[in-house]
Amino acid sequence: MVPLNAYLAVGAIMFSIGMFGVLNKKSGIIVLLSIELMLNAVNINLIAFSRFGFYGNITGQIFTIFTITVAAAETAVGLAILIAIFRNKGTISITDLNIMKR
Amino acid sequence: MNLLELNWGLLAPELTIIILAAVITIADLVMSDKGDRKIFGWVSIVGIVIAIYFTLQQLGSPVEYLLENSYRVDSFGSLFKLIFLVGTGIVFIMSINYIDKEEIPHDGEFYYLLLTALVGAMIMASSADIITLYIGLELLSFSSYIMVGIRKKNLKSNEAAFKYIITGLISSTVFLYGVSFIYGLTGSTNLLVISERLPEAFTNGFDFYVYLGFFMILVGLSYKIAAVPSYMWAPDVYEGAPTPVTAFLAVISKAAGFAIIIRILVTIFVPIVTEYNFADPSQTEFFFFEATTYLAIIAALTMIIGNTMAIFQSNAKRLLALSSVAHAGYILIPLASMKSPLTMSIDISNMIFYLVVYLIMNLGVFTVVTIVNRDADTEDITSFRGLYHRNPLLGVAMSFFLISLAGLPVSAGFIAKFNIFVSAITVKSYWLAGIMVVTSVISYFYYFNIIRQMYMRPGRTEAKLRVSNSLQFVILLAFLGVLLLGIFPNTLLDFIYQNFNLADLFTVGFQR
Repeated sequence: MVPLNAYLAVGAIMFSIGMFGVLNKKSGIIVLLSIELMLNAVNINLIAFSRFGFYGNITGQIFTIFTITVAAAETAVGLAILIAIFRNKGTISITDLNIMKR
Repeated sequence: MNLLELNWGLLAPELTIIILAAVITIADLVMSDKGDRKIFGWVSIVGIVIAIYFTLQQLGSPVEYLLENSYRVDSFGSLFKLIFLVGTGIVFIMSINYIDKEEIPHDGEFYYLLLTALVGAMIMASSADIITLYIGLELLSFSSYIMVGIRKKNLKSNEAAFKYIITGLISSTVFLYGVSFIYGLTGSTNLLVISERLPEAFTNGFDFYVYLGFFMILVGLSYKIAAVPSYMWAPDVYEGAPTPVTAFLAVISKAAGFAIIIRILVTIFVPIVTEYNFADPSQTEFFFFEATTYLAIIAALTMIIGNTMAIFQSNAKRLLALSSVAHAGYILIPLASMKSPLTMSIDISNMIFYLVVYLIMNLGVFTVVTIVNRDADTEDITSFRGLYHRNPLLGVAMSFFLISLAGLPVSAGFIAKFNIFVSAITVKSYWLAGIMVVTSVISYFYYFNIIRQMYMRPGRTEAKLRVSNSLQFVILLAFLGVLLLGIFPNTLLDFIYQNFNLADLFTVGFQR
């Protein structure tokens, strides 16, 4: 049987890769995808805990369904905003999003 | 369980708003594209008044819950719901005057998104289940993302929305990652069950995961209140969003963030004991009362960064954004001062009082900013030049709001800040109180800069500035609120002390 720690390690690695992508990638779509990766890391954690946790029960899997639903909404809203930016500016590179003074 | 047997009456305030949002959505579809949708705003205000009535009815009743505490009515939630409802009502009055068909072609969307955001905030205040709290958080967040970017043709608005959604999603993912460990240790998402099982896990050698969960939840939720570490979005988003939305983010969204932070952190982490002292139980050491040190550091950094960065801003909305970051730091002080179970109730009451005062003065300021920016067609601080000579009453009201934000006497802001100062002094956090005083003094610099522009600089024109009746009403209301709460703060403080019961956060309650 695969131990719980293995699942948690996969989750942690995915979370880190996602965080790296968010901080480093230039394209708006890749940034949204990286956030998706982070959310999936959370899902792996929740499902692993729901199977192998101290008080393993179904709640974790139900929570996962909620996070997947929210992730779908996230993609819809995020892409809509990206399309609006593309129509106005002609690019979705996040390095160009700097018209406001800092 | 039969869903029809549940006591749906408990959901009355939320259901009112949800039905209203649904009706407006359908009416918006039926109506012709050119139709005037200001009527939606007035209908929403009536609905919000009805919801306020229902919430007042629930105030003072014992704790009741639906569906295993996924929704509950308690004094904490009801007080916060009153803040959200009153605040959103005022934001509606501002939006009716602000929305321009040219700029926001689908203005019907604006009204029902504001309502769904309100529902999200209300769910965040009155639930004791992490899944429900998370759904409420995301409902509020997604509605805000769209509202920030609702001026589709405006590049600033687009950019602000994208920055907001990226920061928001990262933070909520970090929050969820922390929650997943808490779930793993306790096998439940119910806050009350977690608070029973977490101390056991803590003492059985899993304290690392408890710390991990604590920090990730704190970092994840800090974006909602715009505190360090995720405050960077605030200036850009506040600048790019339409002004009524900025007011909504600064007031209601922030209050909802504090509601969820208090609800989760206090309920889950307070029962954890790090070291029992059997000889003298009063010396027992608690996890949360040690962890307040980290909250104090966050509060201090938030105050310092918010106030010092605000000095360099020339855009009025960016300045107010950083001022609201600084205020998040002030409001965190009572939470960081919870070093013993005895003061917790008063600390949370002080936070609620500060949030009410913050709501009144900030909505006043944003109403004036809406009027002035619309007139001058720029958001620069110079648009305030000569305001006193163009409309003396408006100038005086604005100066008073700014004095209150700065926390000078004879204003409600002074009383609120003084309460918080006392909170910090009572638990001997002198350094935190000191930082608060010093940063408050720094804040005088940029608040008085606006006042100087209004009185001592000649305006672009000398023409009289007209203010519509409904906005006059809002400004009058806010002015009276700041003045009367400054002179008679006890009326509101007594109301909060009477109606807030700390034990409500920890009791299961009963189901009718």
